[in-house]
Amino acid sequence: MSQIMRKITLWRAISAVIFAAGLWATYLRFFAGWRAATNLSDGQPWGIWVGVATLCGVGLSAGGFAIAGAVYLLGMERYHAISRASVMIAFLGYLSVAAGYAWELGLPWNFWHPIVMWNRKSVLFEVVWCIMLYTTVLALEFSPALLEKIPHQRIRELALEWHHRILIGLVLIGVLLSSLHQSFLGGLFIIFKGKVYPLWYSNYQTTLFYLSAIPAGFAMVIIALYLCHRSLGVKLDLGILKDFSRVITPLLVIFGLFRFADLARQHAMEYLFLARSETFYFWLEMALFIVAPVVLLNLKKVRETPIGLYWASAITVMGFITHRINVSITALERATGTHYVPKWSELAVTIMLVATAVIAFRWAVLHLKIFPRVEPRTRWLAEPAEAD
Amino acid sequence: MSKQSKALLIDITKCIGCQQCSVACKAGHKQPGDPEPTLSATAFTVIEPRGEKFVRRLCMHCEDPSCASVCPVGAIVKTAQGAVRYDGSKCIGCRYCMIACPFSVPKYEWSKLAPYVTKCDMCAERVLAGKQTLCAEACPTGATTFGDREDLLMEAHKRIVENPGTYVPRIYGEKEVGGTSVFYISDVPFEQLGFIEPPMNQPMPTLSAAALGEVPTVVTIGGSLLAGLYWFTQRRREVALAQVAEQDEKERN
Repeated sequence: MSQIMRKITLWRAISAVIFAAGLWATYLRFFAGWRAATNLSDGQPWGIWVGVATLCGVGLSAGGFAIAGAVYLLGMERYHAISRASVMIAFLGYLSVAAGYAWELGLPWNFWHPIVMWNRKSVLFEVVWCIMLYTTVLALEFSPALLEKIPHQRIRELALEWHHRILIGLVLIGVLLSSLHQSFLGGLFIIFKGKVYPLWYSNYQTTLFYLSAIPAGFAMVIIALYLCHRSLGVKLDLGILKDFSRVITPLLVIFGLFRFADLARQHAMEYLFLARSETFYFWLEMALFIVAPVVLLNLKKVRETPIGLYWASAITVMGFITHRINVSITALERATGTHYVPKWSELAVTIMLVATAVIAFRWAVLHLKIFPRVEPRTRWLAEPAEAD
Repeated sequence: MSKQSKALLIDITKCIGCQQCSVACKAGHKQPGDPEPTLSATAFTVIEPRGEKFVRRLCMHCEDPSCASVCPVGAIVKTAQGAVRYDGSKCIGCRYCMIACPFSVPKYEWSKLAPYVTKCDMCAERVLAGKQTLCAEACPTGATTFGDREDLLMEAHKRIVENPGTYVPRIYGEKEVGGTSVFYISDVPFEQLGFIEPPMNQPMPTLSAAALGEVPTVVTIGGSLLAGLYWFTQRRREVALAQVAEQDEKERN
């Protein structure tokens, strides 16, 4: 008991620090200005609020559409038990991305302009629309968790019945919208030709972003499910985690092969071993996002234990974040002659958004029916004792 | 459009670096301070000394501008008069235009709480009123001239041809990124003057257009594929259920 108390106090203390720093950074952003709150400049107008909060927030939410599609369109019933959880991870991910625009946009009160002011030549316009629509789809996909709480039986049953009818359509639209905007986030960078360091330029950046988002999204789901199991007392068929890890390896290999084939096609191979800082960041990305996860997930010790999968997934997510930061920040530094390191307040805002999503996730798992309340049929074979 | 479209011709051989253009521009746009060394939120045009030469920098007013194509709300437009204009009332502050500009021209009012993008507007109001730009009017040596785009291009070609050995045989802005409305001619190769070598001679927005053009394909093929897969898995389940039922029937008999 005392151990539990100590744990709670530690996490409360950490949360308090995160929110205090985040709120102070927010004050700086809105009342002291951009120079006080950020290290953004004319040379690097997009920092980590775009590179991490948006690009990674959306990318790491890719598990939602992939798992919903697998369960409802491909009939993979085995994953039904976690489909609501993965939809919720995505929903919270998109909500925090949307909330992040309050800090990121220069004129956030004009956030609604893309709804009425259209520019269909703009990749960003398409991204904004896809994200708005897909967040709505996610809200609808997730709505039964709330509809189930309606006390009036007739209304509740009617609402759930109506939801059941449109569910397949929603999932299908969700997969399409996700495929579009996951790709188009990479598409944003195609027009930067000439400014992007050759190791990160590709007119197939759309494909690369799509291919990388799905394994990263699965890794995120593994992390969240493991934490639910470990800290929130959720009973789960942990064999599911192993299944996901089996998919992650080939997906990462495909991404890696495509990445190098693309570099070769664009005659960028000569940049692979130059003595430059970009080379270091490129190989860091390769090591964390491809080599380490593929090697680790091939080790029986890692693959067969939940904690092993958890850490392998965490490294995959780190690698993914490195890739997105490289594309959006590292790649532009040489051409713009700007060296950008985020200010503490930029980090504080991003961490606060992540913390809010984690707290909301935890609350939902504890108070809504996110996981089916049944004993799993198969148990994790090499279940370590530390789970309790 | 071509007859009405205006442009600027900058002849680097004639520029003496006197800064009259910067001063006139700042005064006309009510921007404080002295001429600045680099483009900024308070300087739409600057003179950059390059060895013996002076290079005036300003928005290139591209024929098919990247900034206008990337803006999600269409706050930037290429007008029929040639100017690429920014409408702050539409802007959401995403700053995509700043990175998308191959010449890195748009700047941001980082010191303001409600910042806008800033860049040369080719004195659009004056031009609509039939006047020339402030910089062209202020230039004492004729290094900057204002006129119809077609006429200025012909003038630039004429100067190059009529002064053999003086000019580099290139009009910077004629073909770069699909053509601009600011032309430079020079007696020193452009790369030695710090001009960027644009990545292509087609308009940059064609790069995004190629990606965006795949939307209908993704939606139709992806949509039918997913619907087909759904139908297939449902059908398989129905068949499996029917088989089980049949089996039961048999066993009962």
